[in-house]
Amino acid sequence: MRLADARTLVPDLVTTAVEPQADRRLIETLANWCDRYTPWVAIDSLGGAIAEEGVEACSAGGFGGDAGLLLDVSGCGHLFGQGSQGDETGERALLADLVKRLARHDFTCRAAMADTAGAAWALARFAEKQADLFCPHHGQRDALASLPVDGLRLDPPILETFLKLGLRRIGDLYPLPRAPLARRFGDQPLTRLDQALGSIDEPIEPRRPAPAFRTRLAFAEPIGRSEDIAAATSRLLAALCKQFEQASVGARKLEITLYRVDGSVDRTSIGTSRPNRDNPKLMKLFEEKLGELDPGFGVELMILAAPEVEAWSGTQDALPATGTNADPLGEDGTIDLADRLALRLGAENVVRLLPRDSHLPERVQTSAPISAKPAAEGAWERLASMKGARPTRLLQRPEPIDVTALLPDDPPRQFNWRRHAHKVVKIEGPERLADEWWRPRSNGRHMPANIVPPVRDYYRVEDDDGGRFWLFRDGPHNAVAGGATTKWFLHGFCA
Amino acid sequence: MPVISPSAFAPPVANDLRGPVSTELRERVRRLERAHSAQRAGQAARPLGLPAIDGVLPEGGLLTGALHEIEAGPAPSGRVAAHDGAALGFAAFLIGRFGQNTSAGTLLWCRQPAGVFDAPPYAPALSAWFDPARLLMVTARREEDMFWAMEEGLRCPGIAAVLGETRAADPTAGRRLSLAAEKSGVPALLLRPQPAPPQSVCVTRWRVASAPSHSTPGLADIGPPRWRIELRRNRFGAPSVAEIPSWLVEWNDETHSLAVVPQARHGSAGAGWAESDAQRLVG
Repeated sequence: MRLADARTLVPDLVTTAVEPQADRRLIETLANWCDRYTPWVAIDSLGGAIAEEGVEACSAGGFGGDAGLLLDVSGCGHLFGQGSQGDETGERALLADLVKRLARHDFTCRAAMADTAGAAWALARFAEKQADLFCPHHGQRDALASLPVDGLRLDPPILETFLKLGLRRIGDLYPLPRAPLARRFGDQPLTRLDQALGSIDEPIEPRRPAPAFRTRLAFAEPIGRSEDIAAATSRLLAALCKQFEQASVGARKLEITLYRVDGSVDRTSIGTSRPNRDNPKLMKLFEEKLGELDPGFGVELMILAAPEVEAWSGTQDALPATGTNADPLGEDGTIDLADRLALRLGAENVVRLLPRDSHLPERVQTSAPISAKPAAEGAWERLASMKGARPTRLLQRPEPIDVTALLPDDPPRQFNWRRHAHKVVKIEGPERLADEWWRPRSNGRHMPANIVPPVRDYYRVEDDDGGRFWLFRDGPHNAVAGGATTKWFLHGFCA
Repeated sequence: MPVISPSAFAPPVANDLRGPVSTELRERVRRLERAHSAQRAGQAARPLGLPAIDGVLPEGGLLTGALHEIEAGPAPSGRVAAHDGAALGFAAFLIGRFGQNTSAGTLLWCRQPAGVFDAPPYAPALSAWFDPARLLMVTARREEDMFWAMEEGLRCPGIAAVLGETRAADPTAGRRLSLAAEKSGVPALLLRPQPAPPQSVCVTRWRVASAPSHSTPGLADIGPPRWRIELRRNRFGAPSVAEIPSWLVEWNDETHSLAVVPQARHGSAGAGWAESDAQRLVG
């Protein structure tokens, strides 16, 4: 029906523009909020196409009014009720709690719980009585029988044919022989039916990887002071470190999530260079980050999770490392320092230097995070042969200079760099460095291919003030090939 | 343009306090000056290996647990130095000395990148003075962050020396660094690409400029690098005759040693037979 027709039928119809992006954001916020119940929260895209396909697809399902969230709450129920494992009071309490809290945020929702995602999906959308929304264990066959076949998440053409054939309820499909059904309608109806009844597994894909280690702390009263948040973090951390010890792992990454009273979520994470389960050290790292967290109107729940863990090797490393594998930066104090610095300055800004087998000056030195493998012992020593001729500072990008020479191919007598003239008194060279033909030319991060010639002649020069510079010109080969005049560059400063 | 800055340390005009009493007095003054750090354990000085320079330094070397400044000085002709390669070399030499005996110890190097014109230190050359594998390289966009990183490094047990490259002359930051260094006994170095106003609380301040290298007559080759080093501040140190003690030093790549090049007081620092003889004696 078009909007004009609808308006004729209902003159005071209220209309708003469709905003698929806003809908998407809202459902993602809700999904974040639902992380409080379980790490396995998925945005339900089973009902229809995803918003990217446009407005029509969007109104058909997925977001907007038909939006849904799937939560896998296996084993989470006991947090909400006194019931023992296998008892259903906990799960019922969880469901009630979810609906109550969402209603408090002015969301109208229908939540159903069943053994399978398919059954829960169908119940949430098509159950007629409130009591049907909770399906007891192994009860999905009976619960689904009276629901319309729309609850099976079928493609519209199949659904239409079913209705034409008089198959209106899911229960109508139970007695039908499977083989003719599959021959006529393809795999989909049987797969969906099996998924809903639980004879086929249907795992849900969480939006973010579910961490194996996780602790939560709920507060009776919302907290907001930073000291309280720090104290709560410390308690969560103590519990998590105990889990680490039992599993003999250490954390590489920890993430703390604040669930605020207004339903929004704030999170921050810390990373370490090597597996760590030292409570005070991790707490020290968190202290740097907790200031960034905004408690808003108050925090009602905090969850600390370890998305990345590695096998624990701490006690081994604490022994003095000997032999060729000793890491010069391997001391505990240094690693802690590097973690702390990396947290504030960014991991890419706290690095160790590694040598690389190359004769191109800008490629010899690379940097790597502290967690990277250290250079083999003596790797720098092997470069020692060239250290006398190498500059103490290397320009990130060679700077073009104007050069005065007696003959075009002669070494310079004078050069202008940054508007200063330097008279060359002494000169050493040339040292010819050719490009590494086994590498593609364009991958020079430091130097774009267009300014760096394939063959470079390096000179070390000293000006009349005693300043020593490292210059290069593009080799005579390039001049012949390109037909251009010789160009000179300054590449470094010598001691 | 020549950059002239007054010496922060005003030495006595006449150096005739050589009696036993005056030595005692001088010792007392030194104690008073260092009262806050007298109880510190492990207070030591690391000799540079150059007797001429070590002689004027307190305890015969550079104090560990103190702040030292190295700035790139103007060229001999008075022009602003084109680059601080020599100062960097000297700083790397000092770091190498500080990290020498403690074989396991991280050298923390903090710097602020300068964008497209950035010229970071180049490890193949630095490997002349220390093993670059021991470097922990930190880049910080803001100077507060850089000083913070240096301070954190000074407090950390596994660190052998901390160096910061900066143009900023923040007296508060200098004071904090100096206190942190005193507390932990880890040396802190500041490397400045340009001379800064003399206000900070450093124990020594060096001004380093590259000097023309030794030239062999008839050849245009570059000799071993030479630096003109001025000791512009020398707290707790022995007073010297010259207002600003200054040396011409030469780095010998074969023997891995720094040597003072003796020279005639008023003569040029250029070539000469006498000089090369003396150099052979020293080197």
